[in-house]
Amino acid sequence: MRKQGDAHGALTPPSEAPGVHPKPLWSFRPDSDRASGDAVVSNFLLHWFPAKALKASLDWNYSLWLGTVSAALLLLLVLSGMPLLFLYVPSVERAYATVKDIEYVVTFGSWIRSVHRIAAHLMVAAVALHLARVFFTGAYKNGVGQGQRREWNWVLGVGMLLATLFLSFTGYLLPWDQLAYWAVTVGTNIASSIPWIGPAIRELLLGGRVIEQPTLIRFYVLHILALPGLLGILFVYHMWRIRKDGGLARADREALLAEKAATPPAATKTYTLLGIARGTAPTIRASSLARPDASVNAVPDLTRRAAIVCLGTIAVLSILAVFIRSPLEEPANALVTPNPAKAPWYFLWLQEIVTDTTVHIGAFTINGAFLGGVILPGLLIALLTVWPWLDRSPAGVAGVWFARDRRTQNLAFILLALGVIALTLVGTFCRGPYWHFYWPWETWPEIPARI
Amino acid sequence: MTLRKDRRDFLLKVGTGAGMAALAAQATASLRSLVPNVSYDAPTTVKIGQPTDFPDGLKFLPDERLFVFREGLTFHAISAVCTHLGCTVRAEALSQVETAMVEGAPLRLTHRFMCPCHGSRYSGDGGNQSGPAPRPLAWYHLSIAPDDGQLVVDLAREVSRDFRLTVA
Repeated sequence: MRKQGDAHGALTPPSEAPGVHPKPLWSFRPDSDRASGDAVVSNFLLHWFPAKALKASLDWNYSLWLGTVSAALLLLLVLSGMPLLFLYVPSVERAYATVKDIEYVVTFGSWIRSVHRIAAHLMVAAVALHLARVFFTGAYKNGVGQGQRREWNWVLGVGMLLATLFLSFTGYLLPWDQLAYWAVTVGTNIASSIPWIGPAIRELLLGGRVIEQPTLIRFYVLHILALPGLLGILFVYHMWRIRKDGGLARADREALLAEKAATPPAATKTYTLLGIARGTAPTIRASSLARPDASVNAVPDLTRRAAIVCLGTIAVLSILAVFIRSPLEEPANALVTPNPAKAPWYFLWLQEIVTDTTVHIGAFTINGAFLGGVILPGLLIALLTVWPWLDRSPAGVAGVWFARDRRTQNLAFILLALGVIALTLVGTFCRGPYWHFYWPWETWPEIPARI
Repeated sequence: MTLRKDRRDFLLKVGTGAGMAALAAQATASLRSLVPNVSYDAPTTVKIGQPTDFPDGLKFLPDERLFVFREGLTFHAISAVCTHLGCTVRAEALSQVETAMVEGAPLRLTHRFMCPCHGSRYSGDGGNQSGPAPRPLAWYHLSIAPDDGQLVVDLAREVSRDFRLTVA
């Protein structure tokens, strides 16, 4: 077992006084509580960790570690993006050729591009699942800690989901292939459908009235600078808020439970002599957070699991990228729209919605681009954002999977999610040429490529 | 004493205000630079060829995203840009050619138009029939160039659906 550190002796030299860390390095295998605390305090990467972590918060099946998976994928995206920055040229004449070179000429280029692309796809999924986990566990709820603002961390999280989606969108435009060109066309026309200010927004996004070089460079700068910067700031703030909110929501639950369970009085103290109580001894309430069996040192227990998740994510992705090649469609061609022209899977539900929401009321028409492309997604995001303030369930259910008190909310969330999933599946498997409905087992009719 | 405090307060407010104003002006200048002052877009008035080069029926001009119809000596042009989200619609020949009255003028309907992005359908005169398209396809103004007699389309000038250009 660990031996108690002897730094607390009476004749402590100044360099070993508490708060002073004379060693430039730290140990991931600390031999005392003091050393494990030092590993957190003196380590730049670990400075956002607490010295002690609650065992319950580290459970694999509580958080599913989806936030850590998302962060590991973000790290991979930044790392794999670095060589791509050197290889890709953001010009409408050369963008497609450079991506083709990355795919077919550059040594390991195809693997790097696949790492970047697969990590991006998985990150959208991981961030969405992380949001679902936080919702189902009511982890945006404040518990017993002081100064908790978990609802704001939820809002930050929604912002990060949006940043992730915009990063994906701006990313798949860069190869300047058919997918890219028609995605820009549809995406900016959705912005254009907003009454009054829409056309001005489209012009600002495109850098003109047509899709040309100014458009590509704008989306490029958004993709490599503006959006990563925004996501980085939100990420740092997100992590900081977890510390300020007292860790995962589950920690509050453990504290609440501890208050219900009374701790027997210590055998060494006598209360009856003081006249405080007679007969039975008073019970002492103690938080379970202080119980030695409830928490562990962050180093190495928390860091070990974080390392397993990060390295596991990196390993799985590296292997996937070997086997899954990244597609590249034909060069961007303003003259021919692919038939059918499909968005990536995470936007297909939106493509379904803009298809189905044009409403005719007499002579008055609401464009589906506005209703389905702006209003409905906007309402959905607004609803997600304000949900913590609509949730009136007791604080005790924070950090509990599918709590009975939140059954209706969870059901509503599941129904909405199922709706989105159903639309995604229809878009993926049941839409053929001219966006007609075909069952997956039906063959599509032959359509000539050109008129 | 109160006077002095007021002065400090005042100077603090002036300083803060000046700083904010400077930041706002710099932000405005930076953002304004992103709004182009000159458009290098392709011109909207385009010569599209001699009238005799057009076959009877329909010809698709991919660069202008335009369908040009010829019926003997009369011409009209319909945009191929879907009014929903801007994809290029495709023409499909009808098995039976029919003539309909469109805004008081007879029109031979030879094709219908379908959008590959979200499945909008338009009739031969460009009217939106089904799918998410909110408006009919645009009709554009045609004229004859005075110098070499070519057809000229004005992509910035929409016309009503009874527009015809008759070439002598």
